[in-house]
Amino acid sequence: MKKALNTLGNYFKNFGIAFVKGDIWVKLSAVLMGAGYFARKQVINGIIMCLVEVLFAVLCIGYAAPNLAKFGTLGTVQFEQVFDPLTMTSTVNDYDNSFLILLNSIISLFIIFVFIVFYISNMKAVYRLQQKKENGEHINNFREDVRTMFNEKFHITLLTLPAIGIIIMNILPILVLVAVAFTNYDQQHMPPNALFTWVGWSNFKNLFTSSVTVTFGYSFKKVLVWTLEWAVLATFTTYIGGILMAKFINDKKTKLPKLWRTLFIIAIAVPQFVTLLLVRNFFADSGIVNTFCNSIGFTDFLKNIGLVPSNLSYIPFLTNPGWAKVMIIIINIWIGIPYQMLVATGVLMNIPEDQIESARIDGANPLQIFIKITMPYVLFVTGPSLITDFVKNINNFNVIYLLTQDVFVTSDQLLANSNAKEVDLLVTWLFRLTNEYYNYKMASVIGIIVFIICAAFTLITFTRTIKGDKEEEFQ
Amino acid sequence: MKKTVKFIIRHFILLFLSVIWLIPILWLFVTSFSGYKGINTSHFFPETWTLDNYAQLFFRSDSIVQYNRWFINTLVIAIFSCLISTILVLMVSYTMSKLRFAGRKGLMSFSIILNMFPGVLSMIAIYFILKTIGLTNSHLGMIIVYSAGAGLGYLICKGFMDTISVSLSEAARLEGASEAKIFWSVIIPLSKPIIVYTVINAFLAPWGDFVFAKLMLNSGVATDWTVAIGLFNMLGRSMINKYFSVFCAGGVIIAIPISILFVIMQKFYVEGITGGSVKG
Repeated sequence: MKKALNTLGNYFKNFGIAFVKGDIWVKLSAVLMGAGYFARKQVINGIIMCLVEVLFAVLCIGYAAPNLAKFGTLGTVQFEQVFDPLTMTSTVNDYDNSFLILLNSIISLFIIFVFIVFYISNMKAVYRLQQKKENGEHINNFREDVRTMFNEKFHITLLTLPAIGIIIMNILPILVLVAVAFTNYDQQHMPPNALFTWVGWSNFKNLFTSSVTVTFGYSFKKVLVWTLEWAVLATFTTYIGGILMAKFINDKKTKLPKLWRTLFIIAIAVPQFVTLLLVRNFFADSGIVNTFCNSIGFTDFLKNIGLVPSNLSYIPFLTNPGWAKVMIIIINIWIGIPYQMLVATGVLMNIPEDQIESARIDGANPLQIFIKITMPYVLFVTGPSLITDFVKNINNFNVIYLLTQDVFVTSDQLLANSNAKEVDLLVTWLFRLTNEYYNYKMASVIGIIVFIICAAFTLITFTRTIKGDKEEEFQ
Repeated sequence: MKKTVKFIIRHFILLFLSVIWLIPILWLFVTSFSGYKGINTSHFFPETWTLDNYAQLFFRSDSIVQYNRWFINTLVIAIFSCLISTILVLMVSYTMSKLRFAGRKGLMSFSIILNMFPGVLSMIAIYFILKTIGLTNSHLGMIIVYSAGAGLGYLICKGFMDTISVSLSEAARLEGASEAKIFWSVIIPLSKPIIVYTVINAFLAPWGDFVFAKLMLNSGVATDWTVAIGLFNMLGRSMINKYFSVFCAGGVIIAIPISILFVIMQKFYVEGITGGSVKG
C-alpha cells in the first residue's frame, strides 16, 4: 500500500520537475502539446500530439460538456409526444434520455482521465527530449520511433488492442453498473419514456431491509445462503469425485483406461444447454424417471417414509425446493466430474513416482498412500484452481437457470415479492430481475455484492497466483 | 482367484458408472429417431423409429425451426470469436510472460481482480452499450461480446509460455531479431499445445453459450438465433409436445463435431490445463 502511494507520489513529482526545469519549449508544451517535439525537429510527432489535443478539445466541447452538464440530475426534460392531426405526424420533444446521459458521462470522464494521463506522460517525454539534446544524445527520427514499437516498446503494440477490448467489454460496463446501483432505474423509470435519477444508498438499504412491502432483505439472506451452500457443495463434490475417478481409471489394474475416459468425456462434449434441458425433462413431474419410479413402487415407498408429500402422485424432482436443491447438486456432479477427471488425470500423471514407490516399500497401504502422498500433492498443485472453481460456481448460471427456469415455481410469497426463488443463485436472481422484471437498480446492487464476495475469496489466493514468485523458476 | 474377483468388480464399477453417465446421452440419441414428436414418458426407447426429425431440421424450415440458419449463425459467430480471442490471448500472454516493462506486475494484479467480475453480472450494462450503438440482434455484436474481453483470460497460456526457456529468445535477440520477430518465429511455434488448447476453448465458449445469446438476440426473429436459443425455444411450454424429438435431433447434430474434437484433443486438453496450473 505504502509502495503504491510512493509510486503515485513520484509520478506527480516527476511531472512537476519536468514543468519547472523544462525550457521554454517544454513549458510551451503544457499549452500546445506538440511544441517540445517541433523544437527537437520531431515534426511528425509534434503534429500527432497537436492533432490529439485538438481532437480532445473537440470531444470536450461537442460531447463531454453537454453530457456532463446533465450528469448531476440525469436529465430533466420528460419525453413527450404530440400528435398533429393536420399533418398526421407525431412530433417528439427534445427529451433527455437518462441512460444515455449516464453512459456518455462515464465515457467522457474516462476519456478525460486517459487524456490527463497522456498529457502528463507527454510532458515527461518532452522534458526527456530536452535532456537528451543537452547531453548530446541521439534523438530518434520518426522512422526509428516506429521501429521501437516492435522492439523496446513492443509491449505497448501488443497490449493496445486487447486493452481497448477489455475497456469496452469489462471496465466500462462495470462503471455503468456501479453507477446504476445508485439510481432508481427500474420498470417505472425506463428511458426513453421516463427519467431516472440518483437516489444515493437507498437501493443498498433496500437489499438489507425486510418489511411488509420490501422483502429483498429476506430474499437476499436466503439466496445468499443457498449460493454459498451450492458453491461449497458443487466445488467439493466434483473436485473429490474427479480425483477419485481419475485415480480409478488411471490405475494400472484398469484395462483400457483411454476407452473409459472417452466414455465419460462424451457426456461433457454435448453442450450444456442440450444436456441440462434434456435432464430436466428426464426428471420432469410427468417424466420418464417418475413413470419408472411409480411402476416399481419407489414413489409409494418415498411417500411412506415422508420424503414425498402424500398428495402427490409423483416425485417432485425439480419442483419442490428441497428435492430441487438435491437434484441440482447431483446433476452438477454428473456434469462436473468428467471435467475435473480430465484435470486430475493431467496432475496425477506428473506425480513423483519415487515417493509412492518408497512409501510402498515401507509398507504403506494404498489408502495411506492416497491420503498421505497423492492428496497433498494434488491439493498443492490444484489448490488455486479450487478457489477459481468456487468462484465460478458462485456464478454458475447455466446449471441453475437451465434446470429450473419455467419449471420451478416458488410458493413462498415473500420470495416471490422480490422475484426470487428458493433455488436461485445470486446471478440467476440478478438475471431474471433484469431480463424479466427490468429492475436494473436492484440487479446492479446484487452484482456489486457478488463482486465483493468473489473478490474476497480471490484475495485469499491472490498472493500465490499473482506475485509470481515461481514464474522465473522454469525459464 | 481373489485377484480376478477384484478385477471383475473394478471393471463392473466402471461399467456401472459409465452407464449412469451415458444414459441421458443415449436417451437423447434414441429419442432423436422417435416417430412421436412429444416426450415419451412411459418408454425409454421410442415405439416407432424414423429419420423424420432430422429431415424436419434440415429440409422443412418453419417459423419455429430454422436449424440450417442457426447452425450457420452459430458457426460463423464461433469461428470469428475464436480467431479474435485466440489472437488477443496470445498477444497478452506473450507480453506478460516474455517482456519486462514498468507496471507489468501492476497490470497483472489489476487484470486478475478485473477477471473476478463475472461476465454475467456486467452483461446488463454490455447489453445497453451495444443497444446504444445498435449492435443487439446482430452477429457482429455477438462476436464482440464473446471476443473483445478475451485478453483477460491469459493466465493459463502465460503459465505455459513461462516454461519456454529464455535462452532461445536471447539467442535470437543476439542475432539481431526484433521482439516482434521473436514472438512470431520463436515463441509461437513452440507454444503449439497451448494454442490448440486456447483455440478449442475459444471455440467452445461461443458454441455452447446460452446466456449472452439469450440476452442479445431477443428480437424473436427465428432466423437471427443461434442453435442454443433455437433449441431452448423449442422446449417452451406450448412447443414441447410438438418439438421434443426434433430438439433431440438438433442436440445430436450440435454435439457430434464437439465430441469428435474433444476425443481427438483429449491429450492437448490435459496438457494445456495442467501446463498452466502447475506453473501458474
